[in-house]
Amino acid sequence: MIPVVIPPDLWEGDAEGAVSAWLFAEGDAVRAGDLIAEVMVEKTSYDVTAPADGMLQIRIPAEIPFKRGAIIAAIG
Amino acid sequence: MTATATILPNRAKRNLTIAKAMAEALAQEMRRDPSVLVMGEDIAALGGVFGNTRGLLEEFGPARIRDTPISETGFIGAAVGMAAVGMRPVVELMFVDFFGVCMDAIYNMAAKNCYFSGGQSAVPMVLMTSVGGGYGDAGQHSQCLYGTFAHLPGMKVVVPSNAYDAKGLMVSAIRDNNPVIFMFHKALQGMGWLGTVQGSINDVPEDAYTVPFGQAAIARAGRDITIVGLGATVHLALDAAEELIANGIEAEVVDLRSLVPLDRATVNASVKRTGRLLVVDEDYQSYGVSGEIIASVVEAGTVLTSPPRRIAFPDIPIPFSPTLERPALPSAEKIVAAVTDMVRGGR
Amino acid sequence: MTPTRPQFLWMYETMVKSRAFEERIATAYFEGKSPVFNMANGPIPGEMHLSNGQEPCAVGVCAHLDAADFVTATHRPHHIAIAKGVDLDAMAAEIFGKKTGLSGGRGGHMHLFDARVNFACSGIIAQGMGPAVGAATAFKLRGEKRVAVAFIGEGAANQGAFHESLNLAAVWQAPVVFVIEDNGWGISVSKAQSTAVPHNDSRAAAYGMLGHRVTGNDPAAIFAVAGDAIARARAGGGPSLIEIETSRLAGHFIGDAEGYRPAGEKDALFARDPIPALRGRLLAEGMMSEAEDLAIVKRAESAVEQAIAKARAAPFPAAAEAFDHVFA
Ligand SMILES: Cc1ncc(C[n+]2csc(CCOP(=O)(O)OP(=O)(O)O)c2C)c(N)n1
Ligand SMILES: [Mg+2]
Repeated sequence: MIPVVIPPDLWEGDAEGAVSAWLFAEGDAVRAGDLIAEVMVEKTSYDVTAPADGMLQIRIPAEIPFKRGAIIAAIG
Repeated sequence: MTATATILPNRAKRNLTIAKAMAEALAQEMRRDPSVLVMGEDIAALGGVFGNTRGLLEEFGPARIRDTPISETGFIGAAVGMAAVGMRPVVELMFVDFFGVCMDAIYNMAAKNCYFSGGQSAVPMVLMTSVGGGYGDAGQHSQCLYGTFAHLPGMKVVVPSNAYDAKGLMVSAIRDNNPVIFMFHKALQGMGWLGTVQGSINDVPEDAYTVPFGQAAIARAGRDITIVGLGATVHLALDAAEELIANGIEAEVVDLRSLVPLDRATVNASVKRTGRLLVVDEDYQSYGVSGEIIASVVEAGTVLTSPPRRIAFPDIPIPFSPTLERPALPSAEKIVAAVTDMVRGGR
Repeated sequence: MTPTRPQFLWMYETMVKSRAFEERIATAYFEGKSPVFNMANGPIPGEMHLSNGQEPCAVGVCAHLDAADFVTATHRPHHIAIAKGVDLDAMAAEIFGKKTGLSGGRGGHMHLFDARVNFACSGIIAQGMGPAVGAATAFKLRGEKRVAVAFIGEGAANQGAFHESLNLAAVWQAPVVFVIEDNGWGISVSKAQSTAVPHNDSRAAAYGMLGHRVTGNDPAAIFAVAGDAIARARAGGGPSLIEIETSRLAGHFIGDAEGYRPAGEKDALFARDPIPALRGRLLAEGMMSEAEDLAIVKRAESAVEQAIAKARAAPFPAAAEAFDHVFA
């Protein structure tokens, strides 16, 4: 199980982020480097890519807030 | 059911947003063909207000990814000239609503030069432009104007509803020897700040491919009614079709994909099977896409079991306030109500 | 032309009011837009272009206008509307999309209209210029001493309507003043990248009219230049063009990440914020006491507070009202 972690330095301060869109559904096969989610923090958006090949398990659904460093999914 | 069934991945998808699919098509065509370049406002360093040129400046540099002054008549006219001498410019009109300041370059030159030159002078250019409302930007930044462009002869007009089609239609548009108006709906771009319609994100093959113009897609098969949509309304129709199952109604959803050329055959064949027709269009109701589709079906002599209907934007400027705008827009609820009435009401 | 003490105090109070208004608007705008910043959500949907930093342009010019004079503004209209005397309560309600708004919620922030004070807006770049020439020409034809002023951004000076309107105004000797608020940016594209000449006032010569450039984002300097131009127009001396160096302290719209700004630019701009600068000057020159300052700020804040509170409390228009006023 490889966690998909939001880098703790992706943004500054203690603002919360959220996934604006998951590009894959729960259980979909993804390849390392695939863009899997778009994360918005305040007004900026970031691309999140898969760290490994495997099946996507979404831990935090779209529009649910999280802090920097959060594990938003796992690749198994 | 306790244990959820394991979903076996049968193939690796590569899902993209429409914004990313457009950018990928542009990049691949620019690599393949040095005559392709992109011009527009905020398309270079910013990567496009709607994200569809992101990353291009870094790869291709400012000579081929050109931020323009706010001079639409100038740079769209320049595209016509570039096309005349063998380039394949792609220009962005940031919001279709701005066509008022540059329409002559589009419909009197880009669209007519081939004809007036007796075929000597083709105009291979693409004009990509954002359309659509629903996010409270009022009537100078929310229109669709599909009918306005499709009405005027000499330009092809395409409207993708998903990332796969967006990439394939963009590749076709760039390779086409005619002016192509590529109208992308803001709600489908996959830009978080405009909301994201999940259905617009789908599997996009890595290699370049084309989606031919003039071929509508059956987005969902059904036998009771044909719902025709384009762009964002395809997703409203699909949502409605899903809900209608509970009412025992199977709706077929046709995604037009291209307005010029228009695939009347697919629409007619579908309506022939279902006997009913509902057109859902976010553009103004009168003198537009919805009327054209209905007329095409009626002209073909297709026998209908209930009068055709349409759900479109009423003939009023798009208002700002959400309590004015939202009820005026097409919605899945309106579709469900209309379809239920048409099928069950026997009208 | 130097502002009198009351004129100085009016300019200051109007700037403070505009700033306070936009601060409240920004706060409300962010409501409902977190954690995902989706423009469709919250009490104020759609785009929101703030004018903080550009208040001097509005007050320096509008100090010379009264309700009968005609003004066109842009997608960034709040400061100009407030300086022109647009009803603050109705303007706030319009921005919140309420029934009590200037246009009953039909127009919103980019389409503010107040016919009572001859104020109009368009969100299409440079398109306010033609109507300003027309209104001015009508005033001239009817022998009225009214003038028209079109406000635009420096990015608009590259639009066809700019050049056509300048020529037309000069040919017709219309009592119109074109005011360019030069904040250096058209969204992400800098003036240097988009404009062939360093300053747009030089373009006036090509149309046979006087052009002026005002530097420093200083309301008194703007007041002086605008005062001459407007007086000349009123007296039948024809049109002029003024380019004002100003600063956009915020993003192009709320939601703009501003990645294109050179490092340090924002800090430098905030260090030259025109409101503290004017305040400092008025205090230093003895035109305003600390107590007067407090009273001015309090008055401005309470006017804004009231307008926003009323706007929030007001009812939304009914869906059927969307069909009214398509035609007169
Ligand atoms: C004809 C037209 N083209 C493009 C736009 C999109 N747009 C809105 S504001 C803007 C930048 C305007 O820059 P400027 O005139 O300097 O005004 P500022 O935003 O700096 O106040 C652009 C390109 C528009 N509204 N109208
Ligand atoms: Mg500007």
